[in-house]
This record gives sequence, C-alpha cells and structure tokens, in this order.
Amino acid sequence: MKILATYYKEFLLLIRDVGGMAVIFLMPLALVIVMALVQDAPFRDYQELKLDVIFVDQDQAELGRKLSQSFAQSTHVRLISKNDSSESDRLVRNGTYKAAIILPTHASAALQEKTRQLIARVLHQAGLPTALPDSVNRPAVGVTILFDPAIKSNYKQALTGAVSKIFADVQTQWVIDELQSQLTEGESTHSTLPFDPSQMIQVVQKDAGENRNKGIMMNSVQHNVPAWTMFAMFFIVFPLAGNFIKEREEGSMLRLRLIGGSQLPVMVGKFLFYITICLAQFVLMILVGIFVMPLLGLSSLELGDGLGMVVTACAVAIAATGYGLVIAVFFKTPQQALSFGSVSVVILSALGGVWVPVYVMPEFLQMVSRFSPLQWGLESFNDLFLRHVSVIHILPNIAKLLFFGLAALILSVLIHRSRTIS
Amino acid sequence: MSDVIVSVDQITKQYRGSQSPAISNLTLSIPSGSVLGLLGPNGAGKSTLIMMLCGLLRPDAGTISVFNLPIAGNETQARKKIGVAPQEIALFPTLTASENLFYFGRMYGLSSLFLKKVVPDYLDKFGLLPKSGKRVETFSGGMKRRLNLIAALLHQPQLLILDEPTTGVDVQSRNMIVDFLQTLKTKNTTIIYSSHFLEEAEKICSHVAILDEGNLLSSGTIESLKANHPECSTLEELFLKLTGKNIRD
Repeated sequence: MKILATYYKEFLLLIRDVGGMAVIFLMPLALVIVMALVQDAPFRDYQELKLDVIFVDQDQAELGRKLSQSFAQSTHVRLISKNDSSESDRLVRNGTYKAAIILPTHASAALQEKTRQLIARVLHQAGLPTALPDSVNRPAVGVTILFDPAIKSNYKQALTGAVSKIFADVQTQWVIDELQSQLTEGESTHSTLPFDPSQMIQVVQKDAGENRNKGIMMNSVQHNVPAWTMFAMFFIVFPLAGNFIKEREEGSMLRLRLIGGSQLPVMVGKFLFYITICLAQFVLMILVGIFVMPLLGLSSLELGDGLGMVVTACAVAIAATGYGLVIAVFFKTPQQALSFGSVSVVILSALGGVWVPVYVMPEFLQMVSRFSPLQWGLESFNDLFLRHVSVIHILPNIAKLLFFGLAALILSVLIHRSRTIS
Repeated sequence: MSDVIVSVDQITKQYRGSQSPAISNLTLSIPSGSVLGLLGPNGAGKSTLIMMLCGLLRPDAGTISVFNLPIAGNETQARKKIGVAPQEIALFPTLTASENLFYFGRMYGLSSLFLKKVVPDYLDKFGLLPKSGKRVETFSGGMKRRLNLIAALLHQPQLLILDEPTTGVDVQSRNMIVDFLQTLKTKNTTIIYSSHFLEEAEKICSHVAILDEGNLLSSGTIESLKANHPECSTLEELFLKLTGKNIRD
C-alpha cells in the first residue's frame, strides 16, 4: 500500500511538472531524431554513398576500357574522365574529388609485353619449344591513384583493392590468351578461351543471423534509436535526483523520515515509478523509430525478437533507475547530483558505444567498456535488432543489468537509511 | 498529570566541526498530558533536542526514553506515537491539500477508509476544507502552517512535537492554531511546543524549559518558575532574566 501510494504520488508530481515531462519525453525524442539525422550521412558513407573518382586514361587501350566497364557497374564508385593529370592532381588536392586514377601511356602494351615475357620464360623453363624471352627486364606498369589527404583510409583500401582486382582479372585473361597463343603457335585456327573470374570463385557477402538470413544492415536508425533511447533512459537521473533532492530541501522528505517504519516502500515506490517512465520512453522511441523516421527520409527501425526486446528494455530501465536513485541519495545538492549524473551518463554512454562503436576504441577503453551498463544494453539491442539472436543469447548481459540495478537499489536504501539517523 | 512520557538523561550533542556542544549535559522529564514550552533564543539547541526526541539525531552521550523505551533502537515504534510538525513546511507543494494528507496518512499505515473520514474533518477544523483541492504552492503562509500541523495529527499521536508552528503566520491563523492546541490539552495529548512567542507559550503551556547555548537554564511549571523569580511578572521577563539581553546570531 505504501509503495502504491508513493507510486501514485510520484505520478501526480510528474504530471503537474510540465517542464519535467518535456525533459523526460520531448528532449529524448528530439535527441534521437537529431542524432539519427546527423549520423545518417556517416552511415551512408560506408554503405550507400557513391564516390566520384577522376579517371585520367592516358593509355587509351584495353586496361582503361576494362577499368571503365567495371566501375560502370559499381554502386560505390563513379568514374569522371579527365585528360589532364595535373588538373586532376589539383582537383584532388583541393578536395573537389576524393581520388584520381591515372593510367599512364602505353600501360596496356607494357603489361601485355610483360605477360608475354613471363609466359615465354615459363614455357622455356618447361622445355617447350618456344621463343626465348627478351633479356630486357621491363619495369612494373605504374598506375597511380591520387587520394585527397582527408579521405578515410577504408576508402583508400577499397578503391586500391578494386583497381588491383580489375587489373588482375585483365592480366589473368591475357596470361590465358598468351599461353594459348604460344602453345598453338603456327596453327592457323585457334579460338581464344574466354576467362570469367566469377566462374572460378565467388565471394558472397551475407549478414550472419541466428534465426534469419535476412540480416538488417547497420544504419543510422538501427544504431541510433536503441543507443540514444538507452542514453535517454539513463538520463532519468535528472528528474529522479532533481525531485528527490527537492523533496529533501523542501522538507517533505523530513516528514517521511519522521514517519515510523522502513524507508524501503518510499524508495521502492519511486524506483518502480521511474522504471515505468523509462519503459514509456522506450516505447515512445521505438514508435518514433518505426513510424517517424521513415517520414524524415530515414529507414524504419526493424525489431528483432519481441520477448528479448521487452526483457532488455526492462533490464535497462531497472539499471538506469537504480543508477539515478544512488545519485539522488548520495549527493546533497541538486548541482552536485545533476552535474555528476549527467557527466557520468555521458561517460558511460561513450564507453558503452553509444557515440562510436566499441570496436574502434583503443584496447584499454574496450576493456573498460565492458563495465558500462550502457554497453550491456546496447550489445543486447544490437544482438536482437541486427543479429536476430534469441533471448537466450542475451541473458548474460540481462543478468548484468539486473544485478547492477538491484545492487544500486539496495545501496541507495542503505545510504538513505544511514542518513535518516545521524 | 503523572507518568513521565519523555525522559532525557544527561544528553550531550556536538556537531562535527562545531566549537561548542549544541546540547550539553541536559536532563529533562516531560509528564504525560503536559504541554511543555521549549523556549530559548536562536542557537539555544531547541531544534537539536527535538530532532533527538524524534530519533533523527543520536546524542553523543546520555539517553533519551520516550514511552518508557530508549529511543535508540526503538525509533520506529516511538515515531508511530509521535507527531511532528517541523519548522519547515514539510509538504509537497504541487500536490493538493487532500493529496498531501492522504499520502502522508498512507505512509503512516492508515487505511483509505479512515483517511476519508479524518482528512475532511481536520481540513474543516482548520478552515481549509474549501481549499482542499488546491495545490499547496498556492496557499498563504498561514494555510501552509495549518496544513503542516494537520499532517502531524493524522495518526492521532500521543506525543505532539511542534517546532515553531506559528512562525510567519497571520494573527487569525495563529489564533486558530493556539485554540486547537488548547483543545488537545484536554484530550491528554502531550505536547512539546518550541516557540519564540512567549506570550503564546504562557497561554498554552503548563510547563516550560528554558535553554540557552545548549544548557538547560530552568524548567518546571510556569507557576513554580515565577515563584522562584518573584521579580518577574511575565514569562518574557523571566526569559530575559535567565538568557540575558545580548543579541544572538
């Protein structure tokens, strides 16, 4: 009864505090929408953006044609032809373009000649009657890729890899052609054997998922909605600590202390109420992710296992409220509590991978991040929303969150009790 | 007037960082059914003594017994029989008068049925019934003081501790509070009444205890104290004689 009375009292206090309601519901809403919009471009960077690359084809032969054909089918690179390499250098240097591929004059001829030499040497060493290779060892064909210094290293690797792959395929075809040519030298009729590298080996990209093969691509919405929802839930420290200390300063807490009996119902009533608020925040954010994000041109949030999601949301709510309660009882002034509370939540969220993924952090921070409750929560949501795991898979993180929340509740009751009698 | 309901035996309390004790070797007995005026200038130790009587502060030395039980270790049992109206308005400003009383009543463990009966009664008695649905933050100082007092009475305590209950209220509200306390006297409720209003104390109290700088200067019935100091015709004269005329911080 005392718990219910406290729960109802907290409800009345909240609905009469319009500013507090806005902080609890509207601010996180604005946060999650803004962050999803802001981070949409970087996420598209990796997955959807098309990179404009200058192509200076001084060769005007087979290699250039193959390069143009291959990139014409690419969804990530668009070649822009230019004739002047010094202009290309300037355009890349000033950031107008991110990269330029410069194929030197006679590159195709030089590569063909090197291929012919190589095959002749191989056949000669095998004792086959063929012409001796030239004694002149020609230098490697030099293809230059200029990069804007500000370009991300993964772009560099991707573009360099793609160009190398195209040239390797061309060279493989030429090796086969040259072999055929030299082995059938003198015969009037021989047809060229076509080489299709995709018939040799196929590298298939597939997202790993426990239950489904569908695999949701990580995008701004899939990352930001759960991440910032958790951040907002942990910011429950603001209204919780604020109200708690206000009650202490206004004197109503003194009256509660003067009432006989345990303070546990007061604490549990508050605890349960703010858990409900956290869950309401969660539901609101998820609905925004599903219905509002598409209206803003973003993807719709795709959910994973329903039970897992509910369990994770409850566990995060318990952990967040427990944390808020400890801050509320420990600090004596609103300034102390709110400053520490907000900064600590930002730190915990940074360590937890809300701002940047944990795997890009230094090793030491990755180790530290294992102790952030936001990391436990975010990992669980990522497991559910992206990897489509079942609830069993996330139970270790859920256990950590529940332990954290309940330990925080017990600690706050002990601190509060120790301050009731001094 | 017979049994001792509160017994304070040689208690001392010094706050951390303080140069002198807030209460020094104080011994006091409060008979059941009496109204004790706890009087003293600022910093005399009245509020410290009240906090110790409620079990919210523990003395460094000495013992306090309430209802024949040492308060230390029996705070929960004791508080069920004690009603306290603290000096500050201990209410939720954004809740209505009724909501405040119902909430505190529930926290005292009172049933909803009982509260539905007593809350309107008390609100009516203190002239607050028409405003029962209004938020406390909209109340005047006098209305808040009256509501603060009702919150201490809901569970019908045997010992009522009032820490300056008429501070900052208008004459009408003060008069209403004083009248109510006089009716309580007839119901054998023991009252500890801390105040700077000596005239008011003289009107309500059967006993007084005068404190200064943590020391008990004098205690007893008003008549006995006056008899010991025949040169003082009023309680105020007696108070000034015992505590001096120096301004206190």
